[in-house]
Amino acid sequence: MTRFLTTAALLLGTTGLAQAEGTLQLYNWGNYTSPELLAKFEAETGIKVTVTDYDSNDVALAKIEAGGHGFDLVVPSANYVPIWVEKGLAVEFDLSKLPNHANIAPEWKDVEWDKGRTHSIPWQWGSTGMAVNTAVYGGDINTSAVFLNVPDELKGKINVVPEMNDIVNLAVMANGGQPCSEDTVVLKAARDALLAAKPDWLSMDYGATENLSNNNWAASVNWNGSTMRARLANPTVAYGYPKEGYPLFMDSVMLLSDAQNVEEAYKFLDFIMVPENAAMISAFARYANGIAGSEPFMPEDMKTAPEVMIPEEFKAAGVFLPTCGPKAQEYITAIWTELQK
Amino acid sequence: MADRRFQVARLPGFATIAVLVFLALYLPILTLVGFAFNAENSISVWGGFSLKWFAAAWKNQAVQDAALRSLTIATLSALIATSVATLAALGTTRRPAFRGRGFIYVMINQPLMVPEIVTAVALLILFGIVKQATGYQGLGYLVAAHSAFCIPFAYLPIRARLAGMDASLEIAAADLYASPIATFRRVTLPLLAPGIMAGAMLAFVISLDDVVITEFVKSGGQDTLPTYMLGQMRRAITPEVNAISTLLLALTVALLTAFFLLTRQKD
Repeated sequence: MTRFLTTAALLLGTTGLAQAEGTLQLYNWGNYTSPELLAKFEAETGIKVTVTDYDSNDVALAKIEAGGHGFDLVVPSANYVPIWVEKGLAVEFDLSKLPNHANIAPEWKDVEWDKGRTHSIPWQWGSTGMAVNTAVYGGDINTSAVFLNVPDELKGKINVVPEMNDIVNLAVMANGGQPCSEDTVVLKAARDALLAAKPDWLSMDYGATENLSNNNWAASVNWNGSTMRARLANPTVAYGYPKEGYPLFMDSVMLLSDAQNVEEAYKFLDFIMVPENAAMISAFARYANGIAGSEPFMPEDMKTAPEVMIPEEFKAAGVFLPTCGPKAQEYITAIWTELQK
Repeated sequence: MADRRFQVARLPGFATIAVLVFLALYLPILTLVGFAFNAENSISVWGGFSLKWFAAAWKNQAVQDAALRSLTIATLSALIATSVATLAALGTTRRPAFRGRGFIYVMINQPLMVPEIVTAVALLILFGIVKQATGYQGLGYLVAAHSAFCIPFAYLPIRARLAGMDASLEIAAADLYASPIATFRRVTLPLLAPGIMAGAMLAFVISLDDVVITEFVKSGGQDTLPTYMLGQMRRAITPEVNAISTLLLALTVALLTAFFLLTRQKD
């Protein structure tokens, strides 16, 4: 008992880890940070990284806004990056401390939500597309028609992941609009297409990795990483990039304005932009990373994965969903609500 | 002549409904436990029996740290909550009725009524201010928060035990010139002990299982087992989570069984 209380007292006494020398507090999505990466960083710099998990952008934002959190780095999704900047929670980088900044792949350098990458460093990115079991359907899968104009072979066998912004914007782009469109003609066409297609869907659910692997679903609107895992279990599963346009997502590392370990944070940010290290991030969480030259260091099954390395011809159709204006968001929500009926 | 009293168990369909209810309660848990032993990297496709996910969880440093932290917080919180709850139970039962007793009763049980997310957001804001003012980031906040919401869970069994105890024993002790302290130590406390143990176990389990408040109160590097598991949800879930859940479940069931046995012997 005495020993337990001593341990407890010691644990309680570990105050302000954040203030100690050579430490860094990373606040990241759960199961997203490679332990090998942190071990290598510690071996090279002597800086010990503590990782704390969150499970949604909103929880992370709320905790940092409340203050007194002690974190140095956070990894929000693309559409949240401008919010963190506007609220003054994350700072502009001193680029002189980030010599490896030049390693950011050209296509990720001037993204809409962070021009010139002055506030965020790529962590990992992926896409939303069409996962189809090619043993069931052999036609063109690089089109949103797979779920909006369901081929006979897939009727009653296709799932649609219940992600409002992804699904509505896929339909908007398939009808010639831009994400966050406020054009009511396009929006009506998108709504009608979704409502007309819905009777042909099997379900609107998560869990695509599992259900595609065990042939419960013949197809699903799905994320690329999940589809890759499904393909490794069930080789006839393929991933299509809708040529009409498909959503991209990216999580990026930002430096908090009240970070305690700023120098350590810069060292870490520069460290993860080394191609070899970026590849370690990808190897762990199985998504691409946005650092040029990291491909040769990736695991063999990812190097050649068509879900991870977007084929050149489909690259242009990928779109980052911006943070929609209130009016556009209202339309999207209204369409989604109608679709749920 | 048959017993003609009304008995639920004799209603038509009783057995069917009972079986369905038990299935609804336990089938998901059994599925979860079953797939903890899956040899495949999947929580829905069975690939043979294996203990590898238990081994993986056991070797995972993050899981070890989170488990140790969960147990530390639960033990400290249960100790604090039970001490406070015992005093509160004595104060609300072992004295004549007084004005405001009902109000105090409601106040003590507040965590049972207020939605957890409300408490969580309130604590996030309050502790945010305190953390900034003091610079202290340690486990104290989690222990304080857990102790607070565990109090009613410790209080209820202790109060129930006290209410069921014969007050004449204490009066008899006083008649025999035992001092109030001696009466408490020699008569009240031994009789109350099963209630206190039961309350402590319940508080321990409640603290161990908490997600929402912990997620909002934790500082850097303070993931507990439940918040660690929550963090796994965004990406593919492996049977490792099932294995951790199974171990957590086993611990909870063991404690609740002990709770049941302690509260049962009411001789």
